[in-house]
Amino acid sequence: MTGPETVRRKDVRATRTGRTALRVLTVAGVPALLVISWQLYSTVSENFYVPAPGRVARAFAETWFSERLLDDVLPSLARLLAGYALAAAAGVGLGVAIGLSPRLRAAAEPVLEFFRAIPPPVLVPLIMLLAGIGDGTKVLVIASGCVWPILLNTVEGVRALDEVLSDTCRMYGVRDLSRLRHLVLPGAGPQIMAGLRQALSIGIILMVISEMFASSSGLGFTIVLFQRGFQIPEMWSGILLLGLLGYVLALLLRRLERRVLSWHHGRGVGRA
Amino acid sequence: MLEVSGLRKVYEGRRVEALREVTFQVDAGELVCVIGPSGCGKTTLLRCVAGLMPPTAGSVKVAGAAVTGPPPRMAVVFQEYGRSLFPWMTVRQNVELPLKEKKVPAVRRNELVAGSLAAVGLADVADAHPWQLSGGMQQRVAIARAVAYEPQVLLMDEPFAAVDAQTRADLEDLILVLWRDMGVTTLFVTHDIDEAVYLGQRVIVLSGSPTVVMEDLKIDLPPERDQLTTRSLSRFADLRGHLYAQIQRARGDR
Amino acid sequence: MRRGTGFRVAYGAAGLGGLLVALEAVSRLGPVDERFLPPASEILRALAAELATADLWTALGETMWGWALGLAIAFCAAVATGMVIGSVPGLRAATHSTVEFLRPIPSVALIPLATLLFGASLGSTLLLVVYASFWQVLIQVLYGVADVDAVAHDTARSYGLSAWSRIRHLVWPTALPYVMTGLRLAAAVAFILAITAELVVGSPGLGLSIQAAQSAGAVTTMYALVVLAGLVGVAVNAGVRALERRVLAWHPSVRGEAPR
Repeated sequence: MTGPETVRRKDVRATRTGRTALRVLTVAGVPALLVISWQLYSTVSENFYVPAPGRVARAFAETWFSERLLDDVLPSLARLLAGYALAAAAGVGLGVAIGLSPRLRAAAEPVLEFFRAIPPPVLVPLIMLLAGIGDGTKVLVIASGCVWPILLNTVEGVRALDEVLSDTCRMYGVRDLSRLRHLVLPGAGPQIMAGLRQALSIGIILMVISEMFASSSGLGFTIVLFQRGFQIPEMWSGILLLGLLGYVLALLLRRLERRVLSWHHGRGVGRA
Repeated sequence: MLEVSGLRKVYEGRRVEALREVTFQVDAGELVCVIGPSGCGKTTLLRCVAGLMPPTAGSVKVAGAAVTGPPPRMAVVFQEYGRSLFPWMTVRQNVELPLKEKKVPAVRRNELVAGSLAAVGLADVADAHPWQLSGGMQQRVAIARAVAYEPQVLLMDEPFAAVDAQTRADLEDLILVLWRDMGVTTLFVTHDIDEAVYLGQRVIVLSGSPTVVMEDLKIDLPPERDQLTTRSLSRFADLRGHLYAQIQRARGDR
Repeated sequence: MRRGTGFRVAYGAAGLGGLLVALEAVSRLGPVDERFLPPASEILRALAAELATADLWTALGETMWGWALGLAIAFCAAVATGMVIGSVPGLRAATHSTVEFLRPIPSVALIPLATLLFGASLGSTLLLVVYASFWQVLIQVLYGVADVDAVAHDTARSYGLSAWSRIRHLVWPTALPYVMTGLRLAAAVAFILAITAELVVGSPGLGLSIQAAQSAGAVTTMYALVVLAGLVGVAVNAGVRALERRVLAWHPSVRGEAPR
């Protein structure tokens, strides 16, 4: 009696291990392949600019798990977050105001289109001129670059609020602050999050560039320093760190979005 | 309870005369249906009555007070159930929000929410989100929200136009039960002649555009209505045939 | 409430006019020093003067060439890659983790590498532009290919369409709106990165001119060039949008942007 039972259980276990193995292979297969070819290339070619992955990994540990983490990486991140938060507050605030008023919107539209189209990096020399080269300038640069996508997306989201829902609010006396809280902000939420996503990549770009331009510390500055000193493995480790930062920040934002917009994704409207 | 007199609406930009002269009234506790050929301004009429849109001329009065904006004790059930519920709120929150705005104390609020959800048969899905429910169930949520609001006047804008036939019959009976229990004055706009005859104590027939009231017909069917027996009465067929001819005439006039 | 174009033009002009007057006033009346923020009229005059010089047009040409070439390379590579990944079963899943990891890497991380490999030349611009715009297009292509209706796909198979005709008549038309969205996003990003490369690495172009004006203390010229960069950006956006509308004019559904 126990015979077929055990066999079946073994089968189940076997397929389960098989499935896990398959999943590991799908997730890690291509990356592993890439690292292996990198290793092969670096041993074969002796290209000065392409050090072996092991060498870069060592440089990564030595370079970034040191006081540099406190002196360069964290201040950079703090400036990024400060600028980003500033942009989010200003962008959503102004965006709601502009989105709710057809007149204001019509008046602001060409101006906003123009400001959005200015490539954010040119703000670096401009704001340096106006505000010097301190921390404040960098925060301001990041904020003034990030604010446009957030602002424009918020305006668009508020403008496109569902009319039936809007009428429903009017009928049931939902107005002013609670209209903002229950209708406007959640209704524009998907668009606002899209703006925040676009702004994040701009923010990282500006964080790096503002430090490359005029700074004596920070992630961008350090990487350029390595490049000028031909410390190639260290430079690569910096590129890697920036990549990791970009990845982790995007991941965090996506987590936040899943939480905030769970209703939206649940509806099957937003595809994650 | 509801007085509509000399209502006229011309859309400014397009210079379209949607309503020419609409006059009728609904007594307290009455259920009156409004029908008319498609494009005859039924929705415009309802939006003017609801105070969502200012009329060009004429007036709407609720309990003697002129309507200039959405009146405090009026509830609307829109046709687009998918768009009239807040997708980011649960069913319970959707029903509760208007009560919070009215500053109903928490205890009474819970009573009203639970009571109205039970009345529409949705007590067990109170914590679901609207998009997890079928179309008919979503419209029930909108009805529960209107009921919990304890309105003097209930407006319904083709509420069952977008649900399937079986669901529609169920919802019609639900409306009859709720109306009888609450005694709320109800104006029910529909394009469906059968539905108007089945639900209404009176049916107001609108003409084609530019719109006037063509007929104000009393539905002399027994007050107890039932999908099977009421609909098979010969009087039902008479009324239905009469209204059908009227709508055809309204269409032809254009 | 629908309002006419007249309304929009009138208010839009008022908005722009208001901005110019405010800039003029802030500078002339003194909250901000005129040396740091010249009056709007001066900036516009400087812009007109710059537009009369051959150097400016050379710089602008170099920027646009880097932009167009980089965008074209990234677009072709991304469409080809996306079609292959999307059409070969299993490949989408296998490459998912890699794509998701590489995509958010800020392209400015490659600035040091570009400096080392290409120095202050077109190569640096291209490296940054191609990297940044490649992902924008690729992601949209992948969304588009995934959007192909399963029934339509089965139909095509049952009528014995070859793999190539399936891509040509089914996959490509379905993916086209997404591809155009990708192109629109990529065009904007490519312009940003082209200017960035010039500004930071020093490749020739508008960005370098801005950098030069700043170092030389030619503040008004710098503002004029920034305004020009903005105007070019507006033109780029408008151009790509017009192209999108043209290409998709026949399309039954005008799709929104697929979430990234």
